[in-house]
Formats: sequence, C-alpha cells, structure tokens
Amino acid sequence: MATTSVVNSADWLGAPLPRKEDMRLVTGTGKYLGDIVLPGMLHAVFVRSEYAHARIKGIDKSEAEIIPGVVKVYTGAELQSTMKSMPQDVLLPNLPAKFPTFWPLATDKVKFHGEPVALVIARDKYIAVDASECVYVDYEELMPVLDPERALESDAPQVHEEHTDNEIFAMTFTGGETVDAQNKNDLEVERIFKTADVVVKERFRVHRTGVTPMEPRGVLCEWSESDGLTAYITTQRPHIDRLALTDILDIPAEKVRVIAPRDQGGGFGIKAPFYRENVIIAQAARDLGRPVKWVESRYENLMNVGQERDQINELEIAANKNGELLAMRNRGIADNGVGSTGVYWGFVMPFLGAVEMPNAYKWPIADVKLRVATTNKASLTPSRAFGHFPTRFALERGIDMVAHLIKMEPSDLRRKNMISELPYTSVTNEYYDSGDFIKVWDNLMDQVDLDTFRKEQTQALSDGRYLGIGFACGVELSGVASELMVPMENQPGYGAATVRLDPRGKVMVYSGDPPQGQGHETTTAQAVAMIFGIDPADVVVTAGDTGTTPFGSGTIGARYGSYFVSAVAKACEQIKEKITKILAHDLKIEADVQHFEFKNGEIVYLGDDTKRKSFREAVERIIMWPIDLPRDEVGGLETTAFFEAEKPMISFNADCCIVEVDLNSGDFEIKRWVTSEDVGNVINPMIVDGQMHGAIVQGLSNTRFEEFVYDDQGQQLTADFEHYKLATAADVPDIEVSYATTPCPHTPLGTRGIGEGRPSSVPGALTNAVCDALMPLGIEITELPLRPDHVWRKIQEAGT
Amino acid sequence: MEISETIRINSPREQVFSALNNVEILKQAIPGCEDIQALSDTEFEATLVSKVGPLKVRFTGTIMLSDIVVPESYTLRGHGRGGPAGHAKITSHIRLVEDGNTTIMSYDVKADIGGKLAQIGGHLVEKTAKKVANEFFQKFEVLIGPAEETEAIALSMSPNKKGTNMWLWGCLGGGAVILIVWLTAYLG
Repeated sequence: MATTSVVNSADWLGAPLPRKEDMRLVTGTGKYLGDIVLPGMLHAVFVRSEYAHARIKGIDKSEAEIIPGVVKVYTGAELQSTMKSMPQDVLLPNLPAKFPTFWPLATDKVKFHGEPVALVIARDKYIAVDASECVYVDYEELMPVLDPERALESDAPQVHEEHTDNEIFAMTFTGGETVDAQNKNDLEVERIFKTADVVVKERFRVHRTGVTPMEPRGVLCEWSESDGLTAYITTQRPHIDRLALTDILDIPAEKVRVIAPRDQGGGFGIKAPFYRENVIIAQAARDLGRPVKWVESRYENLMNVGQERDQINELEIAANKNGELLAMRNRGIADNGVGSTGVYWGFVMPFLGAVEMPNAYKWPIADVKLRVATTNKASLTPSRAFGHFPTRFALERGIDMVAHLIKMEPSDLRRKNMISELPYTSVTNEYYDSGDFIKVWDNLMDQVDLDTFRKEQTQALSDGRYLGIGFACGVELSGVASELMVPMENQPGYGAATVRLDPRGKVMVYSGDPPQGQGHETTTAQAVAMIFGIDPADVVVTAGDTGTTPFGSGTIGARYGSYFVSAVAKACEQIKEKITKILAHDLKIEADVQHFEFKNGEIVYLGDDTKRKSFREAVERIIMWPIDLPRDEVGGLETTAFFEAEKPMISFNADCCIVEVDLNSGDFEIKRWVTSEDVGNVINPMIVDGQMHGAIVQGLSNTRFEEFVYDDQGQQLTADFEHYKLATAADVPDIEVSYATTPCPHTPLGTRGIGEGRPSSVPGALTNAVCDALMPLGIEITELPLRPDHVWRKIQEAGT
Repeated sequence: MEISETIRINSPREQVFSALNNVEILKQAIPGCEDIQALSDTEFEATLVSKVGPLKVRFTGTIMLSDIVVPESYTLRGHGRGGPAGHAKITSHIRLVEDGNTTIMSYDVKADIGGKLAQIGGHLVEKTAKKVANEFFQKFEVLIGPAEETEAIALSMSPNKKGTNMWLWGCLGGGAVILIVWLTAYLG
C-alpha cells in the first residue's frame, strides 16, 4: 500500500497508513523476549507433571543436580518454606469464589497434565533440558475428574482438598441483589414460560478451544541488591505484574520493574494473567544473583494456556407467535480446569460470558445462572471473546430455533427484537452506552440481499444442492470502565498516557499498556499527528516499561481505542492549550486555542493568517527558552492525562454467512462472509479491517478445527500443531467488511475500542447457516466443534 | 487402549502356558529386550529398547501375574516408564483353550498410556506394537514349536507365497495383542 499524501491534518484520522511497526517485524529486526540476552544469563526448564491427578510421594533430583552446568533444581517443597503462596489480594477479583492455594511448583499433588513440578536452572538451554529428564518424581495416581457436571456431584474426586466441593464459583445474574428478589424474578420467568406460545429448550455445548499466539510466553529476570528486580515478561499487563511480584516476593515496590519487550508476537488474552512461572523465575534470579531466562515451548504453551470456551449452556427462550421475545432462562456450567491462575482464576471468563448473554436483544425478563466447576485440566485462560464465545453460540442458535418454530425469517426476528434506543441497560445489568444497532443491521441486510438468496436457495434445492444463510450479532466491550473493572478484577479501568513534546517538534507518547501486534505505534501516531497538525513519522510510542510509563491496567478488553487513545487525545489537548496561550502572548493577541489551526506543521491564527509559527519553533521556544512567558506559566511541554468514561462503553457488529453443505460428506463451503460494524470513528481503516479479519478467522478456526482433547485419564493429547489443528489460508473465505458507524459520544475522538469480543458472533452465524441449509431435514446443531463427521451423523439420523 | 483377540498357536496348551511364563524364552523372543528378571514366580522386572515413531525409548517396568489357573488362564498387570517419553499401565486377562495339539488363546487388554507417548498418537503406538508383536510371535513359535511345524510356519509366512494362510496371519496379527500387553507395560 503506497503512502498517502495528506492534504490537511484532519486526514490522518481515517488514513490507511502503512504500519510503522511492520518494516522491523518483516525483516527480522523485531525485538522479542527471546532476543534479549543479558550477561551471565542462566536458562530455566520446567519439569511438568505427566499425570492429571496424583500425589507427589517424593522427588529425586540428585542425578540432575550433579550434571556439569546445572546450577540449581527447585521443587515445590522448598518453595513452601521460602515463599508466600497464592492467592494474594492484588490478584483476586472482587467476586465471591473459592480460590485455591498454590505455589509456583506443585507441592503435595499435581492437578493437571502439565502442571510444573520442578525447575532446572543451568548454564545453557540444552543442559537444562537434559537435566530435566533426570529429575524423577514418584507419583501415586489418583482418580481424575474431567467433566464439569461430574465434578459438581457430591462423590466426585476433589481437585483442591482445602475445599469441600469442586464448585469454584456460582452466581445469579438477573432479578436483583437479594435472594428474595431473585426468587420472585425466577417465579415470574417460570410463569411466562408456562403460558408462552413458543418455547425453545436446548442444551448447547461448546468445546475446549481458545487462542495460540505465534509467540509463546517467556520470562527473564535480573536481580541486583542496589536496583532490585527487573523482570522482562511477555505480558499484556506489566503494571499489574509488578504489583504481584512486589507483594508475593516481598520486594519493596520501588525496587521492582517490569518491562514488556517492545515486540510481542500476539497475546489475545493469554498474556494477561499473572502466571506462576513469573514468580519462580524472579525468585531464582534473586537466589542465584544471575539473570534467569525461561522461554516457553509450543508444547508447554498448548499444555498450559490458551484453553477457554468449554461450557454447557442449557438455554430456554419463550416467545409469542409474532416473534416477540418474552423471556430467557439459562443454566451455564463451565469447565474451569484447576483455576490456579492469578487475576482470572479461570472463572472470570464464564462470569463475563453470562453477563453478556442478552446481547443486542430486548429481553423483558430473564433468569441467568452460572456454575463453574474445577476439574483436572489446565486452567481456563482468557482468550479473545473472553467468556462469551459459548454463550453467544447458544443464544444465536436459540434465536434461530425460535424463528424456525414460528416460521419467521431469523433476520426479521432479530431486527424485531433488537434494542432500538441507546443507552440501554441489559437484563443482566450491562450498560450499553451508545450506538445504533438497527443501522448496523440494516447495513448488513443491504449487503446481503436476502430475497435474492432465498430464490437461489430454492432453485438450488430443486437441483439437489443445499445452500444456507445464517446470522448473528455481537455487543462487545469497548474497554472496561472502572465501574466493571473494579468488581471484576480489583483493578482500575482508566486509560493513562504521557505525552512529551521535544524541542525539535517531535512527540513521544508513553503507554503502560504494551501492544502485542495491534499497531498501536501507528494509530497513536495518527491521532497525535491529527491533533498537532504534524506528521505521524514524528510521533514515537514507548510502551510497557513500568519504570517509564504511567499506570495502566493493560492491553485487554479493547482498552486501546476506547481508553488509551482517549487519554492521549486529552493530554494533547492540554498541551495544545498551553502552546496557544503562550503563542497568543508572544503574538500580542487576545486568543485562545479555538482561534488557532494546527496543520501542516504550523500553527496559524485564524483571525489573521500572517500571524503563524511553525510547530517546532513554538515548541522549542517553550521548552528551551522559557522567558517572557505569560504570568503563572512555566516552561516545559509534557503531561500525563487520565481518561475515564462515565459509563461502560460498547461497540457492535453483525455477521452473515452463506454456505453450501455437501450431504454426502457433511462438509460445507463458506460462499460468503459479510459483516457490518460500528467501531466508532476509525483511525486507521487498514488496521481495523485487519482486526475484523483476524477475529473472524479465529472464530472460524475455533468453531471448525481447534479442539483441546483430554483422554479418559486426563492426558492432554493435543500439545502440538499436528494434533491441535488451526485454520490455514486455504480455509479462509473472502470476508466482506463494511462499516455503519455511530461515533462514540463519550470519547474525545469518537473512537471505540474494538477487536476483543469480535470472534463471538462467528460460531452462531456459521452454524445457523449450516442448519438453514439442512432445514429440509429438520436438523438443529447444538454442539461444537462443527465438523463434517458431526454434520454427516446428524444427516444420517434425520434420514432414519 | 482396549483390545480383545482370539488366536491359534500351533503348540499344545501346556507348552504355550509354560512358555508364556518362561523368562528365558521371553527374553529371546521379545525384540529389543535387554533383560528380564523374575523377582518371584509371579513378579518380573523387564527392560527393553524400542523406537516408537520419532522416539527411541528405553522401557523399564514391573509385571505381576495373578489369578493363575494352570494351564488355563491368568491375569497380568503391568506398569512402567519409558524415561521422559512417558508411562503406561496395563491389565490383561488371558485364557488358553486346548484344541487338539494346538491352543486357542483369547485375551483382553486395557492399556493406559501417559506422557509424550500418549501425545504422539495412538496410531503410532499401535503400529509399533504390531511390528514388535509380529517379530515376537515369529521367534516365540520357533522357540517353543517342534522343528517340522516350525518350517511349515516359516514357509507360510513368506510374503511371496500365494494363498497365505489367513488363519495364521490372523494369529500373528492377534499376536500383536500379546505384545501390546508386554510392550505397553514397558512403555511407561
């Protein structure tokens, strides 16, 4: 894509500028955690459990310890006596749950296949791997529990023995704060179900799947008595990690610094939790007085993180024969895995999934409950479409099933029940701040041309071909307001940015929320360039070093376009005010910021355009020669601004999918994928398109191919890409993205945060299309993954 | 992994039963077997080396025999490790029925495999087990059978021979099960 020539400064907003990051990323000069080398660095390799559930009778590390080049071997037993366990307050959400106690290495039991049991530290990686094979663990096998419903039975094997059952979390999301109010609500819901014209009742199951970033995790820690701990971590949340390390390792906070490497190869949520590996690597660096580095292998990555979704949703929908939705009742059961993961503990994802259940529809009343069970599997970790991929699949399929029963077009049913006026508070108390869902929906329907498709479908059927069309939509979080963030994660939601102007007219922006490939350096530069009338090439973004950046809760939940860039805009506006005040004073005119235009590297007085100064000169004067200033002004041009939206914000999208199903094989081809998006004002459309493409491809890959499989002994069988299948380029359809924007009224630039929840409408749209194709056979699919053999079996069943 | 099979061995039942528990015969017959020690009449320790897919593994394990009814049946339980490659546990019930001068052997095996061996893929494990089983059975029949029958068997095992005895191939295929029984005990 050629560079755009900008006519005036406002063009930077909405310009498909090629990304500043990409040259270094595609020429091998990116700087990832794997590239960082410190003098005297040691290498760490974990010994991990081979059993899903077993007591540790003893660990023999004597053979490993005497291998030349091995510096130390840690086991859980010695950690128990030398460090604090989790949980620590800083890593606990404000939600009532049974948090398991654990150390970085397993102590009395191993609770999932892959749990870290010992840590070998050696001079180089190869010695460490060899030595790890000489650590012998004596296990006494225990019966594992591998199904969430089984885990909730009273006689199930107990995963965490400190608790009396395996229910880590449960909640009711509707009906009010008190049990009485909720009971009253539930009775009313029951009454409506008893009298409704139409009731759909189904059990939906979504498998265990999630995300696989190209770069797995890593930690490199360095300790000195004078400077304390410096930890390089592949993290989305360095400021939170820093607090956790401070509290757990009892290091004074001023002596802990966490640095997210400038480049990270994808996060998608799995680099958001605070992991046990961070703690032990830091401890080892402190013990040994030498830097210690751990780089996760793909095998470890697939064994330990990236596992999410994995929910049962028993959903009921009541409607009248005109297609008005009357009530919804949902019983969610989530398979948490062990839950020993800081910040999220596995269950925070299903929690949010239940909150987001109502989606964009008007529900007069609902009864939504969730139970989350611990099992002997790896803990759930956040994965893009945090918690609501399964609930959205259930809901969007349920809506189609209602439409089928009353013989109404599923798209008509959706539009009829779609929230038509915002702001709106959902029946689970989620606040939707702004947007026009109907406008987005109508834009989608314009692209789709349903009438023509139905004619084509009928013609094709008479030729023995099965075409189908499916719809779904998604209300997604645009950042996470403190109002939700504090109860959910005990952390703030505000965005923070430091903007520093340089005497040469350049701008440096500092962010506490590091990117993992989203293009923040480019979009931030565009926003700043627009505000100051300069070139994005003159704007540089530094992110992720807690020593030099303002506090941020991290790159999560679409916080960038919603909170961070808004804080940048706020900081720039403050600086602009100061510049214009001093410039007016220098020009001896009465004027303030709205009387000046910043464009093409100049600041021009609108009342008389002979009165102008170059941006660089104006800035240099204020920073370097701060004399003859207006009274009560001082020199310098740098500020940190914080942005908090009054209320939680959203973005919205709608998907339509057209497929052709082959009845002989159960396989299907996606013929069209059409989207309609309200992402607020777009800073860089190329990057936003990329976000949409990436989200949809991930959704398709999760729905069709990816699956984490545990056998009946709890052995995790999908720990490499031969067995955990990802979509490839050949599987990706042409994606038609279109926009139907309503600028966000609550952010300075009208932008919305996007991308986080985007995959969630994909499974519903795709499965609805396949079921629409198979309507002549009366097939309704309620389980994922959506595989040809599964579809084929349903076809056979329908035939008998 | 669960397998049930029935095969015919061309030797009398008493001979087959005793050979199945004869440490010397087993040591020679099992491919890659480095050592078998009888700890008692019913307990054995074994070491063998094998290549399973890309992994070259040294297996060490313990086998225990129980519910022994000579020469009819017994239960075999085994567990062991293949170093860092993983572990396995098996339980097998074996039954021998006389049929003239031959023996009809039926068995069922349940094997739990863990660690990297489980993750490599069941198909590779089974493929290896069958290969080792074929080799074992060839040697086993040679070691226990009379000379002329051995020759006939050797001839009919030639891949070029037309009209291969389906029953015998069935035996050898089924013999994979015996070997899966031993092998998976050592896979751990």
